[in-house]
Amino acid sequence: MSSTTYIVPFIKAVASVFKDMLGIVVTKGEPVDEGEEFGSQGFAVIVGFTGGWRGRFFLDMPPTAALRLASILTGEEYASPTEEEVLLSAAEIGNVVCGNAVTAVNDAYPGLNIRLTPPSVFVGDGFSMFNVRLSSYSVLMQTEAGPIKINVAVEEGKR
Amino acid sequence: MDVRYINPFIQGLLDVVAMLGMTSIVRTGLGKKTYLQTENEVNIIIGLTGEVKGNIVFSTPEATAKNIASAMMAGVPVEKLDLISKSALCELANMIAGNSAAKLEGLGVKFNVTPPTLITGKNLLALISQVETLVINFAGNEGPLEMNVALEM
Repeated sequence: MSSTTYIVPFIKAVASVFKDMLGIVVTKGEPVDEGEEFGSQGFAVIVGFTGGWRGRFFLDMPPTAALRLASILTGEEYASPTEEEVLLSAAEIGNVVCGNAVTAVNDAYPGLNIRLTPPSVFVGDGFSMFNVRLSSYSVLMQTEAGPIKINVAVEEGKR
Repeated sequence: MDVRYINPFIQGLLDVVAMLGMTSIVRTGLGKKTYLQTENEVNIIIGLTGEVKGNIVFSTPEATAKNIASAMMAGVPVEKLDLISKSALCELANMIAGNSAAKLEGLGVKFNVTPPTLITGKNLLALISQVETLVINFAGNEGPLEMNVALEM
């Protein structure tokens, strides 16, 4: 499988979860060439997976988009991306997106048995992420909440 | 969090760094946090799935990271955290996770680890789990080093 194959279920999951859970339509998606490191827009949800695919999924956005998503989810307004409910909302969205994508992959390829780690959330100015020995692929999607970038880094593990 | 599951991580780290010749590193403290709020520029995250689920984050200042990378590469000075030194640090995290996993399997707990991801940046705040995070501090000639363990079971 090529790295493009790996990211397709995640693109579909973002589009469907954003629409069903948040009422946000993804209007445009284009591949991004990141080079050796994945540069964050300031707010990233990370979900790892093990099994037939080993690797990580990043859901990355500017802090303003994280505030917007949390507001849609909870109905409250937030001032800072480091508020607990903003972090937890983003973690939950990342978890649902990744769970949705991995369920589709596990259904399509029985025996892969991919399992997810709990989500983690990183917030900061201009941080970057580096995966050793993993091929990765990024797609930048435009939404009314702001630009959402996803990256999937995978190696084929033992089944 | 069951303390029996923490010792394998502490011992796993100490075993691996000693094997790599960093024998001065010792445990200096233990604490609890809700969030991993870190001043440290270099953070390596490894996830766990299976009978324990969670995340482990190794967190160090840039200077410690350079010293550790240098120690792992036979003392070659590391001026800048380039790809090779970052790979070395990820490998260290991977070895510690693998070593700890083997020790935990001895206690009858089975899990898998994800590949490491290295995150570099300033003024990072991270929520690595919805359960409390245990912070284990280490220090040695290379500088201070933190291991944050958040396990759900």
